[in-house]
Amino acid sequence: MEYILNIGVQVAIFIILASSYNLVIGYGGLASVAHPIFYAFGAYGASLLSIHFGVPAVLAVVAGGLIAALASVALALSSLRVSGDYLLIASLGFQLGFLQVIRNFDFTGGAGGLSTIPSTITGAYRTPAFLALTVSCAIATVWLISRIVQGPYGRAITAMRDEELAFTALGRNAMSIKVVVFAIGCGIAGIAGGLYAFYYQYVSPDQYEVLQSAAILTMVVLGGMGTTWGPVVGAILLIAVPQAITFLNLPPSVMAPVQGIIFTSLVLLFLFLRPSGLVGGSGSKPKVGSESATGATGAKT
Amino acid sequence: MSGPAPILKVDKLCKAFGGIVVADNVDVTIDRGEILGLIGPNGAGKTSLFNLVSGVLKPDSGAIYLDGALVTGDPLYRRARSGVARTWQNMMLFKTMSVMENLLIAPRDYPGEKIGRLLLMTGRVRAAEQAAKARALGILDRLELGRAADANVTDLPFGHQKLIGLARALMNDGSLLLLDEPMAGVEGAAYETMQRVVREEAASGRAVCVVEHNVSFIKDLCTRAVFMAQGRILETGSVDDLLKSKVLTDLYFGV
Ligand SMILES: Nc1ncnc2c1ncn2[C@@H]1O[C@H](COP(=O)(O)OP(=O)(O)OP(=O)(O)O)[C@@H](O)[C@H]1O
Ligand SMILES: [Mg+2]
Repeated sequence: MEYILNIGVQVAIFIILASSYNLVIGYGGLASVAHPIFYAFGAYGASLLSIHFGVPAVLAVVAGGLIAALASVALALSSLRVSGDYLLIASLGFQLGFLQVIRNFDFTGGAGGLSTIPSTITGAYRTPAFLALTVSCAIATVWLISRIVQGPYGRAITAMRDEELAFTALGRNAMSIKVVVFAIGCGIAGIAGGLYAFYYQYVSPDQYEVLQSAAILTMVVLGGMGTTWGPVVGAILLIAVPQAITFLNLPPSVMAPVQGIIFTSLVLLFLFLRPSGLVGGSGSKPKVGSESATGATGAKT
Repeated sequence: MSGPAPILKVDKLCKAFGGIVVADNVDVTIDRGEILGLIGPNGAGKTSLFNLVSGVLKPDSGAIYLDGALVTGDPLYRRARSGVARTWQNMMLFKTMSVMENLLIAPRDYPGEKIGRLLLMTGRVRAAEQAAKARALGILDRLELGRAADANVTDLPFGHQKLIGLARALMNDGSLLLLDEPMAGVEGAAYETMQRVVREEAASGRAVCVVEHNVSFIKDLCTRAVFMAQGRILETGSVDDLLKSKVLTDLYFGV
């Protein structure tokens, strides 16, 4: 039972991560790969505040989200000014750079990570309580994002992605919309990091590698980029299916490759059969953000 | 000519891309209610002038005044808010969106683009949406496209898409309207509609500038026109005078 609940917490955390990443890349068209580093800012921020300054858990999680959001604004302002495509490279560098910093500072626990995060909820109800908490946060995330992407703001995001130059020439501030969307998405990832830290009471740099970027991206693509429920479905599938396979009681030497094969073939299958993901409408292509150059490439015959 | 200050005043504007000069000491004024024609061969710099005036391009030197205020350094998005409405030679409609959505995004003031207002001042946002919707329906009716409001823009015939490009620009109630080849590819009823609406907009007090290769369209609409080639204004005058000018006939219709 404990085991199942534990998977539930993991799924909820990844729903938060995948949904917020979907806001950034699927809706916002912002090609950042660095989502896990904002997850790390939240996890480390909350952990360090709680370990060194005795900040209460709830405040520490919120602060972790704010730290992640602020860091994302710095990244967005510095790279989006150059061009939309530059964000891809800049975010990769940002992620690898900060991972090195985390690995090499004693303050952040170095490569071994932080393992002295205070326990917040104790006793028999610890796991169910965390499950309730993380699921509530996941629901709040999905609700908030769907609220943002519907109505006038969502219309602005879509128009910006369709034809950024025309959008800006109508008086809309594309830069501010991008920064805000990015900050919200990355701030939510930071909150997921804080939840993770207090649940596992352990954070280490390995969880925020580029491999994690690929995992979250896969959840979004598999479920349906630019849809409300796609990332939810993607997160459930990608966390739960590999766990379910462990019930088959295969020997470990077989297990790892089998999981890898299933994972890879699922992704390939979906990319070919349902390019818009499980939840996305069939036929339509996924709305990956296409950046029209910020320069004056506008009116050409 | 004396009288009230012009809506648009372009003063000694210069712009070059490497060796290509697209604006060479360009001076242009457009008055309230006037429809100015802008003609010239391909590559003359007509679209570039629109890009400079609407803020897409930054000039190398020179000044742009809108309603008497200097706007040269303003960023693109602020230029529209100051009252520059424009269409594009290649339309640049929002292709995954409906006709109505294309228009709703276009008013000068769009409170829904501020996330704080969206979440906290729902009343104000909703009121603005309602007003924009009513305005959009009015414009679509004038263009005889009221029935197409919910269609996806890319499902409309080309001529209608051009009209939607105009409709979207008209959502901006600013004082200057720039139309880049509104008639290219447009025939039949849409042609008449385009002419009528451009006239109405000028009559309502806007300053309009039309780039058009279709000389008869310019002749019908404009009393004054400017002839441009290689980034330079070669002639300014009545359309008839321009058409008689040797420079123009040589450059435009020659060989
Ligand atoms: N962003 C740019 N970078 C480099 N060159 C450009 C750019 N924009 C325009 N040009 C060049 O400037 C010249 C003028 O182009 P422009 O589009 O203003 O001409 P035009 O008068 O509108 O022509 P047309 O009638 O074909 O639309 C062309 O030679 C064009 O290739
Ligand atoms: Mg042109």
